[in-house]
Amino acid sequence: MSLGVAAKLARRELRGGLRGFRIFLACVILGVAAIAAVGTIRESIKAGLVSQGAALLGGDAELELTYRFATRAERDWIDENALRSSEVADFRSLAVNPEGARELTQVKAVDGAYPLVGAVELLPEMPLEVALAGSDGLPGAVMHALLIQRLDLAIGDRFRLGTQEFRLMAELVGEPDQSRAGFGLGPRTIVATTALEKSGLLTPGSLFKTKYRLDLPDGTDLTAAEENAKVGLAGSGFRWLDARNGTPRVAQFVERLGAFLVLVGLSGLAVGGVGISSALRSYLAGKTRVIATLRTLGADQRTIFLTYFIQVGVLALVGIALGIALGVGVPIALAPIFADSLPVPAVFAPYPGPMAEAALYSTLSVLIFTLWPLARARDVRAAALFRDAVSGSSRWPGWPYLLATALLIAALLGAAILFSGNLRLTLWTAGGIAGALTALAAAAWLVQRAAHMIRPRLRRRPALSWALAAIGGPGTTAGPVMLSLGLGLSVLAAVGQIDGNLRRAIAADLPERAPSYFFVDMQKDQMPGFLERLENDPAVSRIDSAPMLRGIISRINDRPATEVAPGHWVVEGDRAISYADTLPARTRLTAGTWWGEDYTGTPQLSFAAEEAEEIGLELGDLITLNILGRDITAPITSFREVDFSTAGMGFVMLMNPSALAGAPHSFIATVYAGEAAEAAILNDINDRFPNVTAIRVRDAIAQVSELLAGLASATSWGASVTLLTGFLVLIGAAAADQRARTYEAAILKTLGATRGRILTSLVLRAAILGAAAGLVALGAGLAGGWAVSHFVMETSFAVIWPSAILIILGGALVTLLAGFGFALGPLTARPAQTLRARE
Amino acid sequence: MTSPILSLTDATLSLEGNAGLVQILHGISLDVHRGETVGLVGPSGSGKSSLLMLMGGLERATSGKVMALDHDLSAMNEDQLARLRRDNFGIVFQSFHLIPTMTAIENVATPLELANQPDARKRAAQELEAVGLGARAGHYPSQLSGGEQQRVALARAAAPRPAIILADEPTGNLDSSTGAAIIDLLFNLRDRHDATLVLVTHDPELAARCDRVIALRDGRIEAPA
Repeated sequence: MSLGVAAKLARRELRGGLRGFRIFLACVILGVAAIAAVGTIRESIKAGLVSQGAALLGGDAELELTYRFATRAERDWIDENALRSSEVADFRSLAVNPEGARELTQVKAVDGAYPLVGAVELLPEMPLEVALAGSDGLPGAVMHALLIQRLDLAIGDRFRLGTQEFRLMAELVGEPDQSRAGFGLGPRTIVATTALEKSGLLTPGSLFKTKYRLDLPDGTDLTAAEENAKVGLAGSGFRWLDARNGTPRVAQFVERLGAFLVLVGLSGLAVGGVGISSALRSYLAGKTRVIATLRTLGADQRTIFLTYFIQVGVLALVGIALGIALGVGVPIALAPIFADSLPVPAVFAPYPGPMAEAALYSTLSVLIFTLWPLARARDVRAAALFRDAVSGSSRWPGWPYLLATALLIAALLGAAILFSGNLRLTLWTAGGIAGALTALAAAAWLVQRAAHMIRPRLRRRPALSWALAAIGGPGTTAGPVMLSLGLGLSVLAAVGQIDGNLRRAIAADLPERAPSYFFVDMQKDQMPGFLERLENDPAVSRIDSAPMLRGIISRINDRPATEVAPGHWVVEGDRAISYADTLPARTRLTAGTWWGEDYTGTPQLSFAAEEAEEIGLELGDLITLNILGRDITAPITSFREVDFSTAGMGFVMLMNPSALAGAPHSFIATVYAGEAAEAAILNDINDRFPNVTAIRVRDAIAQVSELLAGLASATSWGASVTLLTGFLVLIGAAAADQRARTYEAAILKTLGATRGRILTSLVLRAAILGAAAGLVALGAGLAGGWAVSHFVMETSFAVIWPSAILIILGGALVTLLAGFGFALGPLTARPAQTLRARE
Repeated sequence: MTSPILSLTDATLSLEGNAGLVQILHGISLDVHRGETVGLVGPSGSGKSSLLMLMGGLERATSGKVMALDHDLSAMNEDQLARLRRDNFGIVFQSFHLIPTMTAIENVATPLELANQPDARKRAAQELEAVGLGARAGHYPSQLSGGEQQRVALARAAAPRPAIILADEPTGNLDSSTGAAIIDLLFNLRDRHDATLVLVTHDPELAARCDRVIALRDGRIEAPA
């Protein structure tokens, strides 16, 4: 009965237009659009990765081996099962120009069948096989433009990789499988594998990977093919990839970044919620007399609740639909721009998943933030006709509304956990948002109390006194203003602090403690000469060297390692392993015993203590390592403290020498030297040992910093949506407040206040609220930044003052601008007309 | 004879309405002398309140001249007008027009604070006591009845000890007994400060208490009663 009446009443009220609901709608639209846009871009990239899976992978499937080429038997299996196959070796090396300048490059050595899918783009245009054939007796190579520029080469020039000379035949414009390279330390060079035979670069023990791309018959069941490979190539230690998951790391990265940005988007929805709530409150406050009249005419509480719930529902649906259209439409409209700047393919289209995700989040948020104002409207009594609306009750709604709100918040959290797939990150983000909102609400209350208490003491400063009266008196908008602006600023402040601290840790602190160079691929017989050159150099302060092999932890206590420690970085992919007979310098055992010098018994393993604890390993646990296709099983006999934060030499696993010495391996060294001596050391070592690759730590750090800058900028974009929503809410609050301020200004003018004083009062009010919101945001941002730095990044934390100060100034400036903008009306209004309108 | 404290010469007022320009007042000329009490009467829409607003500088005459305390109001800017009101006028409205975010005592103290009076709060408290609201000083307008709000408004008008009190139907929103009490307070206040009082009212009894009554109809002075 009451639903029908309520629907009729709601329709009549909505007939009056959207007046009073503009900010409500804008908040819903912006919040939904941000989440839908992030989701659409994420899904578009995932769809791109799937549709281009074979091209990105370089074939229907790929078998990856570490530090060796396939054996005859393995080649036979490949030939039997694939229509065609291609062999690619991937490694780092130094490219040296005729003048002796050196640059690190990621080399791809290919056979004649490469690429199985797609084509390599070269400038000048030519087939890859022609380019790699070379000219004038030298094998050919193609290089990325950046490397050509760094080495100051021209097409036709000679350069060297290891001991082998090459002729640069063309610039490498595009590789079909380039996104697989991921985080490479140097720009790409492609050469023919056959040309490297005399280079000394692909010797046993060198660090390289080989990838066998397979062209499988049409209709091959990839799952069955993978199982078939596991049986046919048992014990090879290969890694299988196929078109289903051709770029697992890229896909995973996109998925995680997308999930994180959606969580940042949720903070936008929270700010929007504050706006939705205050817009609805102000709308309902204006309706108090209407509601009271309806109550006088016999409308029951349920009818009143439903009347306004239906209005909110209709408008929320309109907002969600528009938000989704905007969030999906903008990425599709901007697809050509995105496609150019994205390093991976993307198929931009509307995807139902992100739309549903955004709709669900926003529906729950709207319900959470509108339930209480609606519950209050339901409680309006007929007597309100004879009372001022300002005296509206501020008590809590009834328990059914509290329970419903709690359930809705739980549902929102559950949805966020489900969609993000990351419980910890979701709880951290939700905790951060809730913490910041609580701090801001508490601060708003404190500011109001303080204003209320200080005001009577301000006898001779009327402008400040009025500002404080507006902040601390009835009908104040201090709460929504501080919440809306503060949350956006908090997120920005936290991003600024995390980004700044991480960059400081990587770009400023690390180089002071990190070595200058990593030298890899040194052969055992080269070590004496290498050490002699460096030990006699006064610029070198420290040299650490160790034998290095790489292997995969395949089993832990005879169970697959990925089952025992799913997702842990130590069991994902191959790890560096070393051996030593005595406990290395600067190393401390935390448990167990060292095997001792000259131990030649069964293999034993020493594991990094922190990682062992994370995985749940104990002394005596059996670890099976696959090294160059051979399984070695050893018990853990000790745990060690290993500090990975200095970028120095640190091995998760050390074994006794007799367990590994027989396997082909090379040596790795870290050299600590003054920056001025770095170039001379590089040239000398590379001249003497052309096969040795040097990785300059400063370059690697610069690359990581660049990657972090990209991530910080993506997050900042997410946070700016929150800030933009906050600004909208601020404008909404200021607009809702405009009538009250105009009225107040008219009375003050009547009492003799000048426009200058009124303006000062309005500006002071805005500045006080803005600075307070900025200060709380700074506190919340610092707390968030500290928590993430301390618990997640495990780096030290220091306040990044420029970013911090910018946040407070930003807060004050934004509110000041809004304050100035909205002061114009009260200042120019004629008092007589304003007062008459209230008669 | 001394010059009039308020003087209007051929003053007109036109305001922009929904249907275009509306002529509210036509050629009003009148003088009000110091210490006089003048009642403005007339039917609704006759221009009584508008005339009062012209006298207080809250509305600007479209043409003609409005003089108050020897100041030509039409030649003054908004801030000059505000200062003139601050130092010389006390205005009381039918709808009280208290500042909702301020308590009763803060409302009364505001004009004194504007005038940088060092004892603003003390004087405000005295004025509130004088209207019988000493106990409600910390209450916000929304916590007061209509009669109480109007008493606060009276206290606020009286606080700067004005030379001119303008009252626009001060009992219009009140019941008759409360209204009568307010009028008594208003006349006491006028007597206390020896102020000039211009009062808009529909109440013939109230008008009869004034020294002079001016009747308006259709924006024109009909006839001195």
